[in-house]
Parts: sequence; structure tokens; C-alpha cells
Amino acid sequence: MTETMIHLSGVTRLFGGVRALDRIDLEVHRGEVMGFLGPNGAGKTTTMRILSGLLAPSAGSVAVAGVDVLENPVEARARIGFLPENPPIYGEMTVREYLTYLATLRRVPGGKVRAAVDRAMERCGLTAVTDRLLRNLSKGYKQRAGIAQAIVHGPDVVVLDEPTVGLDPIQIREIRALIRELGGEHSVLLSTHILPEVRMTCQRVAVIHQGRIVADDTLDGLENRAHGKSIHYLRWQHPPTPDTLRQIPGVAQATPKEEGWLITANPESDPIPELVRLSAASGWDLRELTPAGGSLEEIFLQLTTREERPEEGKEAAA
Amino acid sequence: MRAIVTIALREVRGMFHSPLAWTLLAVLFAICAYMFNAAVISYQIQMLEYQSYGMHGSLPLTERTIAPMLGNAAVLLLLLMPLLSMRLIAEEKRQGTWPALACSPLSPMEIILGKYFGLLLFLAIAIGLLAIPPLTLYAYGTPDTGQFLAGLLGLFLTAAAFGAVGLAASSATENPNVAAVISFGVLLMLWILSWMGNATGGGTEKILSYFSLLNHYQNFLIGVVSSADLIYFLLLSSAGVLFARQRLMAERIQG
Repeated sequence: MTETMIHLSGVTRLFGGVRALDRIDLEVHRGEVMGFLGPNGAGKTTTMRILSGLLAPSAGSVAVAGVDVLENPVEARARIGFLPENPPIYGEMTVREYLTYLATLRRVPGGKVRAAVDRAMERCGLTAVTDRLLRNLSKGYKQRAGIAQAIVHGPDVVVLDEPTVGLDPIQIREIRALIRELGGEHSVLLSTHILPEVRMTCQRVAVIHQGRIVADDTLDGLENRAHGKSIHYLRWQHPPTPDTLRQIPGVAQATPKEEGWLITANPESDPIPELVRLSAASGWDLRELTPAGGSLEEIFLQLTTREERPEEGKEAAA
Repeated sequence: MRAIVTIALREVRGMFHSPLAWTLLAVLFAICAYMFNAAVISYQIQMLEYQSYGMHGSLPLTERTIAPMLGNAAVLLLLLMPLLSMRLIAEEKRQGTWPALACSPLSPMEIILGKYFGLLLFLAIAIGLLAIPPLTLYAYGTPDTGQFLAGLLGLFLTAAAFGAVGLAASSATENPNVAAVISFGVLLMLWILSWMGNATGGGTEKILSYFSLLNHYQNFLIGVVSSADLIYFLLLSSAGVLFARQRLMAERIQG
């Protein structure tokens, strides 16, 4: 489990003068499914394009299965399968033709192409549509074909960029099951901004925000990190002003969320009884009170809303 | 090598799966056949006039029928090739299929050559079609086979150079239409370069007329296959291919 299959070290990428990635360090081990989380525009896609050799980093080093992507790009690409945000499918080909084409380009030996294609189609649930034109398939099947092309050549590393976007709930469930299954044989880097997806598929999570890795930990590790801090979600019919909330003893932080507030307690005192008492006494009409601490969503929000202090996040990651 | 062949064959297949390739072949063939027919009829009239003066022998058949048709075919290809070559790379980027190729273990040169050879294969088919009308002449007369073959070779090389310029243009943009405009502009410029040469005279004339596509092609049409012309077309085609390769390399850096 300790063999490093994806290794990014100090990877920086500039677009013009804009720093899209800032000294990214990331490691994914053999057989691991790693969730790659971040808000839109945080640098997920850029990282994945660098990893798959579509883009060169401005600085830093990248290795796939021990092969340096910059020194030996062609060899490195033989060890990786990439599903971009939009599946790269040729509409005028059938599923079988398409996978055969890419398997051949990706150095599957001539005699083994057919078996490799059959296996990829079976794993991705494409056996019912092998001879249909890709352009006539549903979005879900196109997405599966996209995943199939990423694994058809048996790469060590599979990189999936938001594979479940735009699918219906049943398709999402199937694709997630497939991703879970991919781990073990391949090392998977899965980018998403859907948090439950991470819980269902990943063993480890890296969070990227404004081009920096702000957290890199196991799911349990991340959730433990929030332990000790009690966070609750409260919603009122007539909410008090933020300042009123923050002045209540025991409230360390009050963050607006949806129609209510996330209240973080000081470690030493619990503000909830006082909050409930005040809600009744001042006519705020409390409608909802839910413990929220420790959920992946809260951690994610904490990590990605501290825009003014990114250095802290960097330390937390180390 | 296996990768280049695989890409080339898929490229040709892709062309024939789109109505564009079929339409292009149909238009090219129809117009060339019409022109050939017109040339043959006019040759017959000229022969009658010639013989009515009591002259013996005949007018040069190939030069008056096949050569004009092949000459016009090149002009047609100048107009049509940008439409075919514009898709080579730009279309893959627009359709989002590019990452499937670019993330495969292929060097930029393999991708470019695969694409280019695919285009050449299509051209070979197109020019094979254009050879059919002149072949009918063999039933009625004795065309100069050497000149005919030289003309076909010249047309293939000229079209191959058009394709290389188009490939370069297609690699420079993500919009196929822009690629078509660029390659058409460059090709037309290369075609008419000698016009300027005639007006300037001296050394400039020599240089400009050397670079003119038209001048080199015309040698083939009169049946002359010279190494100077072969080298010219080889250089032009290589320049297009190398430019496209450079673009792919630079793309990874520029993003």
C-alpha cells in the first residue's frame, strides 16, 4: 500500500501572471482512491491536466508510477488513464471501435486488444451497447465509455475529473460503485465538489483551495480534526443580527449557511443552552437545531472559506 | 509506427463518416469531369480546323485535354482542401476528443504524422478518382502516359502541400473555421506569389517565383519531373508538419 503511484512535488502553474497552482504536493499510493476536493476554479482540473501530461507545470516535479512526466512524457502517459470533464468520445464510432482504437494507441499488444476491450466494457457495464454509435448513447453511457477508455489499457493510475456531473441518481450510484471497484487494481484520483461522493468512494481526501492544498488526510483524520469543536446548525424564523450571535458567551464563530447559521462553540463552554433560552425569550422562533460538527461539509467549508489567511491552511495540511 | 497507421486509418474512416468528404469528392469529380469533357470537345473542334487546312498529324492530345483538367483540379483543391484539413486537429479540440489522443503515450510527431497520412490517403483516393476521365481517352487515342502520370504526381504533391499548410493552421487554433480561413489565405498567397515576381524583376523575381506553388506544379503538367520541384514540395509539406508539431509541444507549456 505504500508504493507511491502519483507524486506531485512543489507543482506550480502560471497562466499569464495568474498563479493557478501554488506549490502543490500530493501523493497517492497504490490501490488507493483519493478524493480531490475543492470549489470550482480552485485548480482541480489544472492539476489533473498536468498529471495526465496535457499541460506542463511552470515549476515542480510530477511522477506517475515512478516515471517523471517531464523527463519521460510518453512513458508516463502509458501508465495513466484520464477522463476529462467531458468524455472524449468520437460520435461516429461504436463503443467497441472506440475502445479498440484507443487500446491500440495505448500499446495494448495486438493479440490482447480484444480481451482488454471486452474487459473494460464489462467492468463499465457497456456490454449491452457494444455495437451502438457513441453519439446515440445516453449521457450515462457516454460517461461510462469515457471511464472505459481511461482503464482499457490497464494503467496504474486513473484520473477522473468530476465523473458524475450531469448524471441521474441511478447512474451516479452505478458510477460510484465502479469507482470504488477501480481502487485496489488502479490508483484513482477523483476530482469532485460533491462531498457525499467522497464519503462513498474515497479512502483519502485532499482539499485544494485557491491553488493550494489546504488539507491532505484520511476521511477519519479530517473528521477527527474537527472533534472537540462543537458545531451546530441553527435556523430561526426571525434571526438575530450576526453581532448579537457573536456576543453570546461561548460562541467562537458564527457563519451564515443557507437560511440559518453555523455556530462554533468555544472548547470550554457550550453556548447552546443560552442560545435556546435567548431564542425563546427574544422571539427569534428557533426552527432547527442540528449538530453539524465534524461532517465533511463543515470541514470543507472551514478549509475553503478562510480566504484571508491561506497560510494557516497550508500549515494545517503539513 | 503502429500508432501512426492507427490514427491515419481512423482519420480516413472519420472523413468518410461525415458528409463533408463525400460532398467534396462529388463536387471535385463533377467539376473536373465537366472540364475534361469541355477540353475534349474543344480539342475535337481544333483538330477539325487543323485538318481542314490540309495539315497532317495531330495536335498534342495530353497537353490540350489532361493537363488543363489537372491544372484546374489543383485550383479546386486549393479551395476545397482547407475545408478538409481544418478539422484535423481543431475539430478534435472543439469536440473534446483531443485529450483521448493527447493523453495516450504518443509523441506529438506521431499524432501529427498519423493525421497527415490519413489526409494523404484521402487525397490518393480523390486523385485516383480524377484519373478516371483521362483514362477514357485511351479508347480513342494515344495520350502521353508519362505526362499524364507526371501530372497526377504533381497534383498529389501539390494537394499534399495544401494539406500540410492546412494541418499547420488546424493546429494553431481551436476553431476549425478560423483554421480554414488561415490555410486558404496562405495557400492563395503561395499560389499567386509569382504574379508579384513578374512585376518586380531581378533577384526578387527569382525568389518569389521559386516560392510560388503554381510554377512548380506547372512543370509537372508539361511532363517534367525535376528534383528541384520534388524538393520544393517536400520542403513545404515538412514545414507544415513541423509547424504543427511545434504547436503541440508549445501547447503543453502555454496551456
